[in-house]
Amino acid sequence: MKPALDRGSLALGAYVYTVLAFVIIPLVIIIPMSFGQNDHLEFPPSGFTLKWYAEYFTSRGWRNATWLSIQVAFLTAICATLIGTAATYAMVRGRGQLASLFQILLIGPIIVPHIALAVGLYLFFQTIGLSGTVPGFVLAHTVLALPFVVFTTAAALGKVDANFEAAAMSCGATRWTAFRLITLPLILPSVVSSAFFAFIISFDEPVVSFFLSGVRQKTLPRRMFEDIEQNLTPVIPAIATLLIVLSVAILLGAYAMRSRARS
Amino acid sequence: MNVNYPSDKVQAAGAAVRIRRLEKRFQSVIAVDGVDIDVSAGEFLALLGPSGSGKTTILMSVAGFEFPTSGSISVGTEDLTYVPANKRNLGMVFQNYTLFPHMSVLDNVAFPLKMRGVPKAERYARAEEALATVRLAGYGSRHPNQLSGGQQQRVALARAIVYRPRVLLMDEPLSALDKNLREEMQLEIKRLHAELGITVIFVTHDQSEALTMADRVAVLKDGRIQQIGPSRELYERPANLFTAGFIGEMNFINVTAEGSGGNISVLLPSGERWQLPASAAVEPLTGCQKAVLAVRPERLQLGDAHNGFTFRVKVDDVVYAGSASLLIGTLPDSTEIRARLPGASDLSALALGSTAVFTIPKEAILLYPGAAQ
Repeated sequence: MKPALDRGSLALGAYVYTVLAFVIIPLVIIIPMSFGQNDHLEFPPSGFTLKWYAEYFTSRGWRNATWLSIQVAFLTAICATLIGTAATYAMVRGRGQLASLFQILLIGPIIVPHIALAVGLYLFFQTIGLSGTVPGFVLAHTVLALPFVVFTTAAALGKVDANFEAAAMSCGATRWTAFRLITLPLILPSVVSSAFFAFIISFDEPVVSFFLSGVRQKTLPRRMFEDIEQNLTPVIPAIATLLIVLSVAILLGAYAMRSRARS
Repeated sequence: MNVNYPSDKVQAAGAAVRIRRLEKRFQSVIAVDGVDIDVSAGEFLALLGPSGSGKTTILMSVAGFEFPTSGSISVGTEDLTYVPANKRNLGMVFQNYTLFPHMSVLDNVAFPLKMRGVPKAERYARAEEALATVRLAGYGSRHPNQLSGGQQQRVALARAIVYRPRVLLMDEPLSALDKNLREEMQLEIKRLHAELGITVIFVTHDQSEALTMADRVAVLKDGRIQQIGPSRELYERPANLFTAGFIGEMNFINVTAEGSGGNISVLLPSGERWQLPASAAVEPLTGCQKAVLAVRPERLQLGDAHNGFTFRVKVDDVVYAGSASLLIGTLPDSTEIRARLPGASDLSALALGSTAVFTIPKEAILLYPGAAQ
């Protein structure tokens, strides 16, 4: 016999679906809006056109911004993953008493408001001439992405027996060889998935980019904010839709990586 | 390794290990406190002690994973005290197998040879050979997670011996296995030791494992060696009260002892006085002093056997266990006494609360200065 639905489980169900709706509705609204024919944002959209997508792909300004963001995100992914993995290794395996201080510093960028970090980096980069340059963006974004790399790889590294490396060393491997041949392959799926995260975090980052962008060097989110202030055409939902597709693809990739690691 | 193996491997494969005044401090904690051990070539030495006794730290210092605060370690003629672990050429087996999970069994066993630059064909051939030595021929293509715990530990053993190290170090290698498997592996390791003639240093907290496997056992407590010697010596004539209580079961009775000439006179709590031969005293006695009389439970005989001293015990419990029965009783001053009686003994007279007469043969008595807790 099927048990009767009680009020508690009804309320829980309603709550869960409300939360899901709040998460999904913006996506459901933004995607149709990108196909609207009118020059201004409207919902529900009227007509159907791909011209906003065409504008995005043909406009020089959008292309430049996108290319800059891709460069920055790619380099950030590499830097954050290299530094983050090395730092995580020191944190998880190191015997030093500084480990906990180290941990706080590494996850600091999550706690510090981005605006504070942005202002600080802006003033600093202005004086040393890094503002508006690719290395400047990469440095700043690496700081923001590091905590996510550290969290992801620390979880994976914690599950790898530290004695594996000791065993490899007793077999004649140097510490570096032991890490490269034993530990790294075992945590690689998490390292790759943390690189994906770092990429998204950089690609999507508006606050620090707002401060660091120059007249010509603008990242995609910075350019989008500019367009929202000045034009607010459906090219914004068109780009948003493309970004959603990209993010979902990357997240699925990261998920596939991690489930491979688990099996 | 520049070691030439004569045709008779059993003679010369092992190397002597010398540990001199080894000391290791972790901040204020002294883990190893001035330990000297000489392991001769081809010997099987067990390091036995409770946790925190320093046995693992000693092994890790030999392996190169800990560097001593002072003292020296040499293998053969080479001083290895501060040589990195990967340059020591010692075989090592860890407690939790530590097989590399992303490699096949064959690649695991071939790993040390790969690190030594042995060409692929040769290293696989030698890895197969090592697998055959641990009776796992044909398992090479499997992955470690497809093997049982015992098989995994045998693969770890094959990996440790594949490049013919002169010394094999084992850190509680059997403690993760269940009892039957453990006994099987004990025999397997003994067989390998005899076959390869390799020097083995084996850390364990399981005394029966140490006593059955090793040529000599070093008993450790608080970073110091309490006694080092063959199993039989350790069991039959423990050098001090700690070893006497740590190895096997022991009855302790606090007495007052007085040495005179070739004889020792002890005053029991009951007021009785026994005359013991001088050989009973493990350490020489001086004048009249507090001492502990020690005797193994299986040396006590039920009834008056006319070959030693008799005493009375109030029976508190009798536990039947097939091959032997355990009797737990108390002396008049409430000292606990245990006796292990052969399974076939007639225990019908031993009602709980009744008094039984036991005999201690003279030669079964050991006497230590001090007092039992």
